[in-house]
Amino acid sequence: MTKTKKASLALLFLWFCVVIWAAFFYAPKAAGFKGESSRIVFFHVPQAWVAVLAFCVNLVASLRYLRHRNLLDDARAAAAARLGLLFAVLATVSGSLFAKVMWGSFWNWDPREVSIAILLLIYAAYFALRQAVSDPERRGSLAAAYAILAFVTMPFLVFVVPRIYWSLHPDTIISAQGSVKVQMHPRMFQVLVGSLLGFTGLFWWLYSLEVRLSRLRLRREEGGE
Amino acid sequence: MPAPESLFWVAAVTIGIWIGIFLYCLSLERRLSKLEEETP
Repeated sequence: MTKTKKASLALLFLWFCVVIWAAFFYAPKAAGFKGESSRIVFFHVPQAWVAVLAFCVNLVASLRYLRHRNLLDDARAAAAARLGLLFAVLATVSGSLFAKVMWGSFWNWDPREVSIAILLLIYAAYFALRQAVSDPERRGSLAAAYAILAFVTMPFLVFVVPRIYWSLHPDTIISAQGSVKVQMHPRMFQVLVGSLLGFTGLFWWLYSLEVRLSRLRLRREEGGE
Repeated sequence: MPAPESLFWVAAVTIGIWIGIFLYCLSLERRLSKLEEETP
């Protein structure tokens, strides 16, 4: 491991420790929320953000695969989708915990809950498709084409549908008119931004681990092992 | 000692989870580096 990598990982570790401390003891609790439930925003929103980021990376890698037919790009796309699915599940679970505290039920058929469930099914089907095709090049092409279609639905399900219908979900930072409407206490906003950066760093670390593992697998397959 | 329902314990458990995730990823990082050195 290089010195830069060691320093980056040490920074990531300390960064998250500070963010967790700040989420509970630096940021005030928000008005209008039951108990301390508003603090989940510092974990729930970054998880959802990383899921969206991962699906964007999945799209870029899929497009690269269709252009260059490099199996490593296919592996990159699969790695990003896997992480996107993981973080989308985490966002759903953390959202359900919040829903239980605020509205008394883990699941309320809220537009945002339904849209994330549909998105999870769409990306779960991506892996079902990958499992169904054994030829690597054919699998790469089909998965890349599917990933493009899946990505088209993502902005609608994450950003549009929850804003069209009445929702229990707390108002978001970006208003329906598209203008930035930051209504958080400055301390809450600082912690949220810190958490977003931390989760993004964690995503890139996990993504690089996945891609290195795939590269290794491809090298071994090429070597006849 | 803080009360069992206090934020202190929630924060402590969250930091514990983070340390677990970090150590697991670090062990993967080391195993991967070793495998990369072994693979021609």
